[in-house]
Amino acid sequence: MLLFRAEEHVDRWCETRNIKRGATLTPQQGWQLADGWYRDKLKPEWRRHTLEEAAALLAQVGLTGAFWNLRG
Amino acid sequence: MTQPDEVLGQLVREVRLQVFRAAAETAQVPQAPQIAAALGRSESEVHQALQQLAAGKVLILAPNNGAIWAPNPFCAVPSAFRVETRGKTYYAICIWDALGIAAALGQDAVIRTACGDCSDPLVLEIAAGKLVRSEGVIHFAVPAHQWWDNIGFT
Repeated sequence: MLLFRAEEHVDRWCETRNIKRGATLTPQQGWQLADGWYRDKLKPEWRRHTLEEAAALLAQVGLTGAFWNLRG
Repeated sequence: MTQPDEVLGQLVREVRLQVFRAAAETAQVPQAPQIAAALGRSESEVHQALQQLAAGKVLILAPNNGAIWAPNPFCAVPSAFRVETRGKTYYAICIWDALGIAAALGQDAVIRTACGDCSDPLVLEIAAGKLVRSEGVIHFAVPAHQWWDNIGFT
């Protein structure tokens, strides 16, 4: 997951590398997702999110649809 | 009577806590010799525990030598994603993990990276739990269900 100056930079990066364009999100969405995903990672009682919990985190940030489906 | 699986489970937990505690406190990811010394265990035991943690997707081992590459969100080697906080510099393997370092530490942080296309410097900043400086757009090239097929590329 990379940060780009703007959407057209994503387009150029994909074209020059022959990589299919994925999905973009704002830094605010990225922060919300990272905060939910990693907030507890250093705690002794930490455990991996279940698929359902991970899907809920994505959905809370507005990341829904086939691209964000963790089950494929 | 303590079963072998319970013993390994306890060791895996100890190793996990040691890796993440040390990475958070020092901004340096410890490797098997340091972990073994800190826990009073053998390197062989620590390697076994690290394999279990990698299998559980708790951290990522380097494919060539089994060293710890990324106890996410931390990265063991300098990268294009720098996170400055508490007078230290941490590294992450991607922008999501860079933001994750600020989240895991619960600290204000400045994240410095560069546009993946043109290499222009880009800066994000977290303060008091909020994104207070923001620019650019994050691109996920890989669909969510394939993230772990090749986590290095993802």
